[in-house]
Amino acid sequence: MTASANNTQDERLPLKGIRVIDIATVIAAPYCATLLGEFGADVLKLEHPAGGDALRRFGTPSKRGDTLTWLSESRNKRSMTIDLRTAEGAEVFKSMIAKVDVLCENFRTGTLERWNLGWDVLREINPRLVMLRVTGFGQTGPYKDRPGFARVAHAMGGIAYLAGMPKGTPVTPGSTTLGDYMTGLYGCFGVLMALRHRDLTGEGQFIDAALYESIFRCTEELAPAYGMFGTVRERQGSSHNDFAVPHGHFSTRDGKWVAISCATDMLFARLAQAMGRPDLAAPHTYGEQEQRLAHRHDVNEIVRDWCGSLTREEVLQRCYATDTPAGPLNNIADIFGDRQFHARRNMVAIDAPDTGEQIIVPTPVPRLSATPGSIRSLGPKLGEHTDEILRELLGMGDAEIAELRARKAI
Amino acid sequence: MSATKTDSGPTDSGCIRPLDGVRVIDVGNFLAGPYAGTIMAEFGAEVIKIEHPQGGDPMRRYGTTTARPDATLKWLSESRNKKSVTCDLRQPEGVALLLKLVAKADVLIENFRPEAMESWGLGWDVLHAANPRLVMLRVTGYGQTGPYRRRAGFAHIAQAFGGLNYLAGFPGETPVLPGTVPLGDYVASLFGAIGTLIALRHAEQTGRGQIVDVGIYEAIFRILEEIAAAYGLHGVVREREGSGSFVACPHGHFRTRDDRWIAIACTTDKMFERLAAAMGRPELAAAELYGDQRKRLAARETVDALVIDWVASLERQAILDRCLEMEVPAGKVNSIADIFDDEHFQARENLLSLEAQGLGDVVVPGVVPRLSKTPGRVTHLGPTLGDATVAVLTGLLQLNAAEIAALRDKKII
Repeated sequence: MTASANNTQDERLPLKGIRVIDIATVIAAPYCATLLGEFGADVLKLEHPAGGDALRRFGTPSKRGDTLTWLSESRNKRSMTIDLRTAEGAEVFKSMIAKVDVLCENFRTGTLERWNLGWDVLREINPRLVMLRVTGFGQTGPYKDRPGFARVAHAMGGIAYLAGMPKGTPVTPGSTTLGDYMTGLYGCFGVLMALRHRDLTGEGQFIDAALYESIFRCTEELAPAYGMFGTVRERQGSSHNDFAVPHGHFSTRDGKWVAISCATDMLFARLAQAMGRPDLAAPHTYGEQEQRLAHRHDVNEIVRDWCGSLTREEVLQRCYATDTPAGPLNNIADIFGDRQFHARRNMVAIDAPDTGEQIIVPTPVPRLSATPGSIRSLGPKLGEHTDEILRELLGMGDAEIAELRARKAI
Repeated sequence: MSATKTDSGPTDSGCIRPLDGVRVIDVGNFLAGPYAGTIMAEFGAEVIKIEHPQGGDPMRRYGTTTARPDATLKWLSESRNKKSVTCDLRQPEGVALLLKLVAKADVLIENFRPEAMESWGLGWDVLHAANPRLVMLRVTGYGQTGPYRRRAGFAHIAQAFGGLNYLAGFPGETPVLPGTVPLGDYVASLFGAIGTLIALRHAEQTGRGQIVDVGIYEAIFRILEEIAAAYGLHGVVREREGSGSFVACPHGHFRTRDDRWIAIACTTDKMFERLAAAMGRPELAAAELYGDQRKRLAARETVDALVIDWVASLERQAILDRCLEMEVPAGKVNSIADIFDDEHFQARENLLSLEAQGLGDVVVPGVVPRLSKTPGRVTHLGPTLGDATVAVLTGLLQLNAAEIAALRDKKII
């Protein structure tokens, strides 16, 4: 891990020159802006003067009064306060829209339209604008006006139903914000394509991203299997054995867990080798996937017994020695001790401004060889850059800014 | 159910796609990496899937089998819009053929173990020399560098390594799969597609290509909020939280009288007030009772029990109706059967129905995200092995029939 934000690579940032307004809240649409910011876009975070983005209060408090999630995920952004419900605020916003490339928003459907700041209005101001609109259920359809949160999207999109013990309570699929991040990713993919189209034709457009759709799109062959055979996939606990055995989580003697996944016969042969039981992979025992699927309980039992007889480290070393796909179920303490995370510099410690705290945050993904992303600052204070942005973008003077402030527009 | 019938076929409707003119060569297998090609193809990229002449991509045999031995349902859905060309990269003539294709492409996607491509004479230096503008997307379990780079990595292993699987399940109990879908493959591919588009933009501006390197584990680790920061600062190890959440209450999955499940997410006091009203118990949201999130978190078991009892007293539809009437964030925990019945999935055309050769109609998920001017589309499902070999070799590389026959004789294609 290395300290301090990285200011040195600005020249190589591939999205330098792209300006983004992020008027969204929490994670989904803002994460799209975060990704663009890591690769050099200038991201202007516009927040309500009273309290700002709710992400400032989501998660573990920092000494500064915001949270660790805010500091990490609002990296590289500049914060400006603005109240879009005031006439002056709306006018300032419109003037800014004329000068940016991308707008990220996640208000309930119809909200911006009610403030007279809908797509039709913004497109008039800036025909080249690319607008990312994130909601729980999308801009159309019968549920479009429902409040949308990632948990509800996980449930609606089909993944919550698939997480948990068979017939047991469906559990959170690992993280309550999974759908938010995935929608940020799909949204960013859409924004980059729309920018490409804009550069070629001069024509902007909006992207309609729904949390539940980002989840549903990643459900593999769930829909085709139901459509063709009426198969309803159910929760399967720690092993998913519809297509491959063994394939799941196994506990070790020291009370830890490993994941083992043998998608093919060749991989099972390697596992059998690792277990010191090459006989198990013979054609007349469990050498073929079909046999293992038919006797999944027996095969899983054998693997479970073997894992239970050794420590996690012993199981993994034997698997690695024969090239069997296996790995630890890391908790965050394991991750901090892991050589691969260190070698890949997946975390960086950055001095948080004003607090004297060092905050360890994940570094940008993906890794570009010629133009890598960077973290140049952590999440800003509310309104930290209001004056700077109004001067720089709109050429305002002190008097104008004071006037806006007096009217509570900023 | 009524899935939206799509029969646009391979001939396009004339609509402009944002990735029209981008050519992608996909030499990957399974999903981690190739899925980036899939979504690029939905938006107009020409994606040429290079497969081994004997059997092709093993994903053709992974998943639910069909009447066609070359295509599982997973293959049909996730290799949508691609063309298949056979080429054996382990033979020098196959390598030469790939280099000719690379010279005419914008993007190369691969997911072999690090150094496999190099061992066949297809390392970055060679590819870059063949096409200085090339963007190469490399997806592996652990990335191209670091001590574990050569280890076998599959979605579930990498999800476990990245820290996600540890977090799914009940406290102190068996960690379960965070949904029986290969999340890691999808998430890594999404990061890969974003990196590829950024690198493509840079290549078009400067003429210089580059490598996009994604480890599945780090794609997963990147989306775990503040887990690293909280451990770094306070030594807090996040644990499994069952069906609930540590930061809000009530926030979880609840069983209804008809033995189904709904999700309720009260992230704020206002939401809880609405829920209390929906339950006919507005007094629960009083300030001195459970109106404050901190009080609800402190009395989590009591609050959850009130919700559990209320939900169990009514059928799923009745619970949902009351919640929606009060604007409480709530929804069904949908099985795939529920999804096929859902009017919103139908209205948004999230289910498409396309004919697969020899199999009749197959229902697959539609395109995400939705672009207003240049929407994506699904033209066809996963191709048969080598369906475009001759077309690509003659059209793109100008090989003649005799040359193609010779390659076929030598089992290069």
